[in-house]
Amino acid sequence: MGKKDTNVRMSLQTLRVLEAFLENPTVQLAGAEVHQRCGIASGTLYPILLRLESAGWFVSQWESVDPSIAGRPRRRLYRLTSTGLRRASEVFASFNRGVLA
Amino acid sequence: MSQRDERWTQPGLEVATHWLIHYAARRAPEVLSSRLEEEWLADLESRSSALSRLRLALGCCWATVVIVNEYARIRVPAASPVVAARGYITRADRNFGYFSLRSGTLFLILGLHAALFCGLITTFSHTRELATQPNLPNQVLNTVPIEMTALPGR
Repeated sequence: MGKKDTNVRMSLQTLRVLEAFLENPTVQLAGAEVHQRCGIASGTLYPILLRLESAGWFVSQWESVDPSIAGRPRRRLYRLTSTGLRRASEVFASFNRGVLA
Repeated sequence: MSQRDERWTQPGLEVATHWLIHYAARRAPEVLSSRLEEEWLADLESRSSALSRLRLALGCCWATVVIVNEYARIRVPAASPVVAARGYITRADRNFGYFSLRSGTLFLILGLHAALFCGLITTFSHTRELATQPNLPNQVLNTVPIEMTALPGR
């Protein structure tokens, strides 16, 4: 597997998505839950999630539930990686330094 | 439930919502298509209001446009669980033309402006031609006919 380009174009919406995950870095969130937390429209949200995943900041996996038992389809869950956690923390730290400077 | 809410829960709207998501997923890069469709349909179930579901579906259509443009030449994890289990990384190899969406939009706007400008020029030049009097030759009438027949009944 080749080396991933971990640079991500930072926008306000991307920061809001990262902020939702940084509240609890171990939590796994589906796109619908991120939408509820951030209020970002789906047309913006899903490209951001895929962008962060392709950059290695997020990993995603299918929810381990049986749709017939749960009564709903399985969701795609996203989680911060160690790289994503470090890079997101750096981004917010640089913003804080810029604000406080 | 109000009358307005009832209008938004019509089965036709629900069919349209699902169709939009299927359509958006089909237009996504092949490696992501099935994954996105399943993901979006699952997220659709979490929305209660029909209007909210329609907004999600329309958003998915826009998301596909963005994803297609961004992920045309970027390696993305495989959508298929079988392929993903083998650890393959696939590539979204689709030819999306010579221009990006932004360049295409710019050329479209420039083209529309040029067409409008040409249309205005053509219209105004045509109006000016109509307003100009034709260059008629002047003639001097030496004899004026003065005989006039009486109108019938007088």
